[in-house]
Amino acid sequence: MSRFSLRDRLSVPTYDNEVYATTGRLVIDLEKCNGCGICAQVCPGKAISIRGEGKAKRAYLDEDFPQCMSCNDCAAICERDALKVAVAYDFGLYYKKINRGEFAPPRKY
Amino acid sequence: MDETAVAGGGETGAGADWNPVERVILERRSVRKYKDRQVPENVVQRVLEAGRFAPSAGNTQPWKFIVIRDAAMLDEMERDIVRWCKIFKFFIDWRTSPLGRRMAWLMSQVSIRVKRNQLHPIPFGAICLVADGKLRAFHGAPTLILLLEDRRGAARPQVDIGCCGQNMVLAAHSMGLGTCWVGFVELLKYGLKWRRRLGVEFPYRICEGICLGYPFGNPNGMIEREVMDVDWYEDGAMRTVRQGGDDVTV
Repeated sequence: MSRFSLRDRLSVPTYDNEVYATTGRLVIDLEKCNGCGICAQVCPGKAISIRGEGKAKRAYLDEDFPQCMSCNDCAAICERDALKVAVAYDFGLYYKKINRGEFAPPRKY
Repeated sequence: MDETAVAGGGETGAGADWNPVERVILERRSVRKYKDRQVPENVVQRVLEAGRFAPSAGNTQPWKFIVIRDAAMLDEMERDIVRWCKIFKFFIDWRTSPLGRRMAWLMSQVSIRVKRNQLHPIPFGAICLVADGKLRAFHGAPTLILLLEDRRGAARPQVDIGCCGQNMVLAAHSMGLGTCWVGFVELLKYGLKWRRRLGVEFPYRICEGICLGYPFGNPNGMIEREVMDVDWYEDGAMRTVRQGGDDVTV
């Protein structure tokens, strides 16, 4: 990973190029979500939007290249445990990605 | 319990519960929505006091704090940050730039190579969001602490600023406040306006900002983070342990 070919160097990923870049992804439990919208308000990348009317309001991750940085702030603030990060972001080649293993909460040692 | 452990340090035996300090560290989340209520002056001073006693290289204490609690001034700073973001977006966001996709793409490729950390996809996206007015730089916080770096410091002053800021942030969270690091204040050093107005001159340089306020809702909580391998050298052998994961030696 530390060695790049010339071809790699010339093709720094343009951020919306799906060949190189994947953003973070959330799993949202639509049965637990009540569409209160606090996750959308605290999301640093504004990647969550609330859609639907009245009781059918739910949180959704934007389909078109959401700026999700896998920070789990939405998971921390959600009172109903309705969502959390499922896939970490990866911007390929030049940038630090979150790829060192699965996700886990703090552990007691 | 170890004799030098501070009060409340608790047990350190295997599987023991987290002590209060660890809890603050593990449960602290960045806060991006604040109540309008202003933070009392003495509480801000308590927070600054935690920063004053941070470790630094050669005990140089290469920091200076500026506390901004003036709502009009914060608004003005935010507007200027938006203006800078718009300028950057104009030149390097190839998706929307009026310069045309090809020209802006070329500019972005050059800029990404020059400022590779500042233009990492996440801050790049944030610049676009701030420029579009979708993301507020200070998240509506009533108080902002600016951290200035003293460039005459020893070794790596910016690392010391990091220690200092983290001390303040953790102290703030232990008192029920919410904080968020704001790197966007860096943009204020480009023009003369804010450097003059805040009296920022050599040896000082705007380094980071921390916004402070009472959080809306309860953002604190433990979340899942990346598990990673750590190499341990001990008794003439090396082993790799999965930190945070199950007890498996790789």
